[in-house]
Amino acid sequence: MQTQTVKMVITGPFNSGKTQFVGAISEIDVVATERKISSEAERVKDQTTVAMDFGRITVDDDLVLYLFGTPGQRRFDFMWEILAEGMLGFVVLVDSARPETFREARQILETFRAYAPTPYVVAANKQDMEDAWALDDLRIALKLEEGVKMLPCVAKEKETVKNVLLELLYSILEEMEEE
Amino acid sequence: MRGNLKDFSPTQILNLVSLAKKTGMLAIDRKDVKANLAFKEGKLVFVAVGDADGTLASVLQRSGRITKEQAAALAKRAQQTGDKQLGLLLIQKGYVSQAEIIQSIKKHALAAVNQFAAWKEGLFSFEPGQQPGDERITVPLDLENIIVQIARVQKLDEQLEEEIPSLDIHLKFTERPQVKMKELQLNKDEWRVINFIKPENTIRMIAKSCNMSDKQIRRVVGSLREAGLVELVQIRKREKLSDEEKSKKVALVSRLINHFQSMPAD
Repeated sequence: MQTQTVKMVITGPFNSGKTQFVGAISEIDVVATERKISSEAERVKDQTTVAMDFGRITVDDDLVLYLFGTPGQRRFDFMWEILAEGMLGFVVLVDSARPETFREARQILETFRAYAPTPYVVAANKQDMEDAWALDDLRIALKLEEGVKMLPCVAKEKETVKNVLLELLYSILEEMEEE
Repeated sequence: MRGNLKDFSPTQILNLVSLAKKTGMLAIDRKDVKANLAFKEGKLVFVAVGDADGTLASVLQRSGRITKEQAAALAKRAQQTGDKQLGLLLIQKGYVSQAEIIQSIKKHALAAVNQFAAWKEGLFSFEPGQQPGDERITVPLDLENIIVQIARVQKLDEQLEEEIPSLDIHLKFTERPQVKMKELQLNKDEWRVINFIKPENTIRMIAKSCNMSDKQIRRVVGSLREAGLVELVQIRKREKLSDEEKSKKVALVSRLINHFQSMPAD
């Protein structure tokens, strides 16, 4: 029997933790396309994803879930629509401690919503940091509608990543039941 | 000279008439509207398109110089005297000046020829030598400038069609408009469109509410986008799944959920 594959997309602004998120749950080492940062303004880390991160979760013999992390810098956004094609749902990852990226996170969210009408959740990453914004404040800052799930996350911890993906799956299921 | 605008475009006809310095009447017959364009030695001298029949009363009404009721009364009078006599009478009585009449006729001719230039099909025939009746006021207009202007507008429209290929998409205000609101100058059409920009309205719905053609709405949206005021939002509708597809998807998602739930913590 042919293996069925499904995919989820992990998106968010530059340096929000997408590569780490995929890496925390993937059973293979993440196929990352990281390159050295060329822009001085974005040099908050050494490397960034320029094409996509790719992770895999084998459910059983005939079902595999692929996780695709999008490139964070806007100049690589031509990749987004390709990655969004046929996705089951998507996660918008936000760096809870960098309010200067919230507006961009909102724009990314709207862009992905326009690409495909699939369910999504917002994961407030880096909740372990001292200056991380509280979820309720983040919800207001991101202008999230009432029904949208906002979940705490620490991308380097598998358990919180697992929880985010589970919540996304619950949302997919709920939405199908509502139809 | 006969044919269909499908095969020989309005701009090509105008070019030919201009280059060959033709004199005569071009008649266009479309399902919804008829038009007549008169030329003298390659210059456009008279245009009538549908209701905009090029008579003095109609031209003055469309330029806003007289009311609909006044136009009806003048049209009645013009049937006896002709437009030239009527024009003289209006000038003598001080209702309008000669310059205002000429300006109004030019404005009408340009609007009508622009309308004709946008037609993609319709039977046309050119009768050499034929001219509008002597009672009509004719104002010669150089075709070269008109053709250049039409070509420019058509090119802009083509670009807009590429930029906004579908009208079934939504508009939203940009979060950081690149214009200073104090310096913002919008025309009447732009304000009307702005009034209807809501998440639930597509561009097509806005056009319908504002009674605008596809071309008009594209031009307005194009200029609002260029001003950095709005951006396009494409919200795709979810495909409706059949019962079978739905149950398959539910089973698949449930398997994923079970897998994650049973995943050991590291």
